[in-house]
Amino acid sequence: MIPPPGLSEGAMLKFVRKRAVASLISLVGLIVMVFFLSRLTGDPAALFLPVEASAEMKQQFRELHGLNDPLLVQFAHYVGDVLTGDLGESLRKARPALDVVLEAFTWTLWLAVITMSLVTGAAILVGSLAAFRAGGFFDRLSSIISLIGASVPDFWVAIVAIVVFSVNLAWLPTSGTGSLLHWILPIAVLFIRPFGIIVQVVRGSMIGALSSAYVKTARAKGVKSRSIIFVHALRNAMLPVITVIGDQAASLLNGAVIVETIFGFPGVGKLMIDSILQRDFNVVLAAILVTALAIFLMNLLIDLAYALLDPRIRH
Amino acid sequence: MKKMLILGALMLGSTLSTAFAGSGPIKIVLPEEADLLEPCMATRSNIGRVIMENVSETMTELDVRGDKGLMPRLAEKWEQNADGSWRFHLRQGVKFSDGTGFDAKDVEHSFNRIMSDKNSCESRRYFGGMTITPTVVDDYTIDFKADPVQPILPLLMSLLTIVPEETPMEFVREPVGTGPYKLTEWTPGQQIVLTARDDYWGEKPEVTEATYLFRADPSVRAAMVQTGEADLSPSISQLDATNPATDFSYLDSETVYLRIDHNIEPLNDVRVRRALNLAIDRQAFLGTLVPEGALLATAIVPPPTLGWNPDVKVFPFDPDGAKKLLEEAKADGVKVDTPITIIARTANFPNVTEIMEAIQAQLQDVGFKIDLKFVEVAEHEQYYSKPFKEGRGPILVAAMHDNSKGDPSFSMFFKYDSEGTQSGFSDPKVDDLIKRASAAVGDERAKLWKELIAYLHDDVVADVLLFHMVGFSRVSERLDFTPTMATNGTLQLSEIKIK
Repeated sequence: MIPPPGLSEGAMLKFVRKRAVASLISLVGLIVMVFFLSRLTGDPAALFLPVEASAEMKQQFRELHGLNDPLLVQFAHYVGDVLTGDLGESLRKARPALDVVLEAFTWTLWLAVITMSLVTGAAILVGSLAAFRAGGFFDRLSSIISLIGASVPDFWVAIVAIVVFSVNLAWLPTSGTGSLLHWILPIAVLFIRPFGIIVQVVRGSMIGALSSAYVKTARAKGVKSRSIIFVHALRNAMLPVITVIGDQAASLLNGAVIVETIFGFPGVGKLMIDSILQRDFNVVLAAILVTALAIFLMNLLIDLAYALLDPRIRH
Repeated sequence: MKKMLILGALMLGSTLSTAFAGSGPIKIVLPEEADLLEPCMATRSNIGRVIMENVSETMTELDVRGDKGLMPRLAEKWEQNADGSWRFHLRQGVKFSDGTGFDAKDVEHSFNRIMSDKNSCESRRYFGGMTITPTVVDDYTIDFKADPVQPILPLLMSLLTIVPEETPMEFVREPVGTGPYKLTEWTPGQQIVLTARDDYWGEKPEVTEATYLFRADPSVRAAMVQTGEADLSPSISQLDATNPATDFSYLDSETVYLRIDHNIEPLNDVRVRRALNLAIDRQAFLGTLVPEGALLATAIVPPPTLGWNPDVKVFPFDPDGAKKLLEEAKADGVKVDTPITIIARTANFPNVTEIMEAIQAQLQDVGFKIDLKFVEVAEHEQYYSKPFKEGRGPILVAAMHDNSKGDPSFSMFFKYDSEGTQSGFSDPKVDDLIKRASAAVGDERAKLWKELIAYLHDDVVADVLLFHMVGFSRVSERLDFTPTMATNGTLQLSEIKIK
């Protein structure tokens, strides 16, 4: 959704409000769906307690966690609690679900922000240079690299990277957290796919921009190549690029399950999968709320970036 | 500046443990994080591996390394009173990690706590079907009266972790125990650190500090021990177990089997169940899809368990025999053509997909119609445990069962009794044997379990027993440690020696 022309403060607020309402509606729909579906497809008592637990123990577990009430009553309780800021307690961890999620989400957020910043910078540079001499050696090389990047499976890259850089070369720790070095492999692995995709988009969009009339005019006036690429063409080529960056960032914010699992990175993706498997309802719902909120904010930023980049949208 | 940063990062990132001969800190990498460090949940493997007998101790302890049977821990000795109740004489001079002294009231509270309805303590399951009343006799003596009388009550006490009497009924996040270690750091998602206590009542262990790390991927765990980031990984994959100096296999306590639902035709016919067993070439799996050291199973419990019966023989691979049995059954009007579904759990154990596909093919070769369905853990549970769904078709549930407790009673009731949560049939003789064996002691107990195991395997043909599995571990060369059948659920740091 593109913001309306004339971004005055009032219009801006109105735009944000409209977006917020739309997002809220989908968020509520999502919560309702997840709430009921997860409760209908598995019994946390059977999963938390050992298989040998008696029916009596299971009954008492459900009683303790309010899982015996009719679904609608449970839902009413949940909504009431959420409105007072209480997202409930994790069944598995006996801690507030929101604490568990925020802890994990902080890791994911850092991972996503750092990775996407690096990806954006590198992809724009490589994509622009490739487009400048389309069909040339650098273009072909970058096409091959980005194609491999976009299609190579990340679990494989992750394992190979550990074998090469940790086991054989002993340069980096295999996994875990604790120092800056621990971030290098996970970020490098996460970097590859969005980089491959965004390079392609930048290249395509730049080729279009570079063949436009205003670039030809600039060339005719003798403007240097560097400013043609990075000042004249790039800005105009950025709109589709930003959309794709947003998509890629959103999938990172949802958690990079494979990278988190292999590198033992305590992010929200693995937390969410584990909680779904264990039917730890409160954690699943809290994780969805937190990540959805983050994605909503990011989309808002992207819309504002459109307006900033393109004066036609502003005026 | 940049160089300084890198240098600093390198120093921070240096994960090599500094080792002193004979004692020092170690790092252990486990597949699954302990989501809770609650003593009364220590019978769950991911929690027990960290705190059982390290932080939280029990009154008695089963010897899984030798043949000493049940050994004293917090109880020095015990005996049965004339009325059938058990009296435990407790060790004196023991202190909890919070400084309070240990006495009989702590034991009483620990038991009452696991039975409380304010929590969901997992160890309560071992005390189902009986009423147990603890009575404090004096500071260091306690009686446990059980109705009906429990001959294995001292064994059950190896599962009751002792907490101070001040512990609230609700789950705690900081376990306090009498064990050789105390919890000193817990960063959820990252690591747990246990540090040796100076005021421990027993022998001082060589491991002074243990850091637990958690990695879901087996090859990462193996790589971590190889690079020195960890010293011990009790479970790595067979593919990674390539270095004879650090890697070895051990019989763990897991048994893989197909649970047969005897209630639905054609599985209600014993000839059909026997045909299922004859159709599978179990031997062909060893060294191929199942690790070489695995054993072919004739019981739901592995060999070191009391009453395991060496006279029961594995079903031979006899496809012709299976076909013949099916024909016989068919001639008698049994609908042997009904499609049978194998329900298996995704990622339940290594190669589960390939193993189940091979079994499916072998069963089809003798004329069964077999569908194979993989489900995740929550859905699997709905097929595995009662109440079973109405209107279901004939089902075989592929499952893995763990019993490292040394006594079959922890398995038999749940798997085979008419009232058992996961029992696929009802047989009065089986119920009677389970009842009598559970109440018997000594040789009589072993004899009854043996009888039950033979009857289940040869006469009832209760299920399709497949393999007792082996695990692979990687142990740094600086450590002296061999995992045992119990390592799945307990990993005693005091058993780890540093070279």
